[in-house]
Amino acid sequence: MTHAIDVRNLHKAFGDLEVLQGIDFTVETGEVVCVLGPSGSGKSTLLRCLNRLEEPNGGQILIDGEDITDPDADVDQLRTNIGMVFQQFNLFPHLTVLKNLTVAQTGVLGRPKAEAISIAREMLERVGLSDKTHDYPAHLSGGQQQRVAIARALSMKPKMMLFDEPTSALDPELVGEVLDVMRTLAGEGMTMMVVTHEIGFAQEVADRVVFMDAGVVVEEGRPEQVLEHPTHERTKKFLRMVSEH
Amino acid sequence: MKKLKPRQRVLVYQLMMYGLAAVVVLVVVTQADWPKIQKNFFNTEIAADMFPEVITSAVKNTALYTALSFVLGMVLALALALMRLSSLKPFRAFAIGYIELFRGLPALITLLFVGFGLPIAFSGFRIPGGVLGRGSVGLALVAGAYMAETIRAGIEAVPKGQTEAARSLGMSQTRTMFTIILPQAFRIIIPPLTNELVLLIKDTSLFFILGSTPGTKELTKFARDFMNAERNATPLTVVAILYLLITLPLTFLVRRLERSAAKAR
Repeated sequence: MTHAIDVRNLHKAFGDLEVLQGIDFTVETGEVVCVLGPSGSGKSTLLRCLNRLEEPNGGQILIDGEDITDPDADVDQLRTNIGMVFQQFNLFPHLTVLKNLTVAQTGVLGRPKAEAISIAREMLERVGLSDKTHDYPAHLSGGQQQRVAIARALSMKPKMMLFDEPTSALDPELVGEVLDVMRTLAGEGMTMMVVTHEIGFAQEVADRVVFMDAGVVVEEGRPEQVLEHPTHERTKKFLRMVSEH
Repeated sequence: MKKLKPRQRVLVYQLMMYGLAAVVVLVVVTQADWPKIQKNFFNTEIAADMFPEVITSAVKNTALYTALSFVLGMVLALALALMRLSSLKPFRAFAIGYIELFRGLPALITLLFVGFGLPIAFSGFRIPGGVLGRGSVGLALVAGAYMAETIRAGIEAVPKGQTEAARSLGMSQTRTMFTIILPQAFRIIIPPLTNELVLLIKDTSLFFILGSTPGTKELTKFARDFMNAERNATPLTVVAILYLLITLPLTFLVRRLERSAAKAR
């Protein structure tokens, strides 16, 4: 059976620093997986390897059964199937919200302009920002910007979505609106991998939680299992520290 | 003498400085030969004789030379900046070598090289367009080196996340550069590029070295010939004012752009 994401013995080093030391895990189609772990544990690097924003040093990554670590793999083509949402939103500040959503649709996928615009409007509706179509990103709040970034990724009609700490750069009162959008998306059956510090979100939405530390997967399982009855000392310690806040 | 308090000392010092300035001004005003200065630098009759050619021909030529040099230089600079940032070492090396070479030479040498060196070396070789063509190519070679560094700085000032976002949407490296990075980079470097334009306006005065016909004189050459014919320095004053009328609004604009850019950040 092919998995949506299948990572085998993944290694990544920056110079002498081994950030990923042999990661194995899978994500099934329609599954929502949250990755938790202290900063520096390699969880963002892992996520960025999945669409090759970082080049792995060893191991294999199969997306829908296709080996993307193959040097001959078409990275640009691959990336159109994998939506990514960043901590810093990374909207294109010189383009309107609508143009942010259509620039890759027309330029990369070759969709006709009218079709791209109608898809963009549909996605903005989904994230509740239809009224911001012609605004520039600088005029939006952080929460709105991140929702636009999610809509931008969705406009490509990707098979799966990667979230790299999507709420970490937001003011506390803006976190909820972004999590709401992600919750809805998960409910619609999107395959999602979410690197996050939002334990509550993981508990409620995730089908599975992966806990990473020092470049390895320490433990994984159902959220109630990992978050409420962790078996490893490192997981317990991390959860204790997070819950103290 | 009683020791002065620090504040009194500052006051005494300031009074002395004002006094000194007043004396200098007084001497200049009373001793200078004002009628002679007026006749030689501010002769209204000679100034009037310069019009309208100084505008219709000289200012027009200066503007034309500047514009063409700027456009050619910009194209060259963009190519050099992209080479400078290339992952291929020979391209990087070439760009660095070029930039250092042309920034290190006087612009006059480059102009002489393009205007006379090349035609002598390769007989029959001529850059088309006469003074306009040869001069603009020469200045563009120099300006391209300076502007390449400006453009490179602009590209590097665009946050890395922009490239990552564009690439994660499947955009190729080239498409990312031209649709996402460069538009933002150019917005950042409008002020330094405007400064570059001001420098170019002034550098077109070097075109005289390429020779000229009555129709191809720019401001400085026009003033010089007029001065020699009239044996009077007023033409220099006139073109100096004209230069300032062009460059001061531009430098003023740069300052405003820089201030608004600082505010946006």
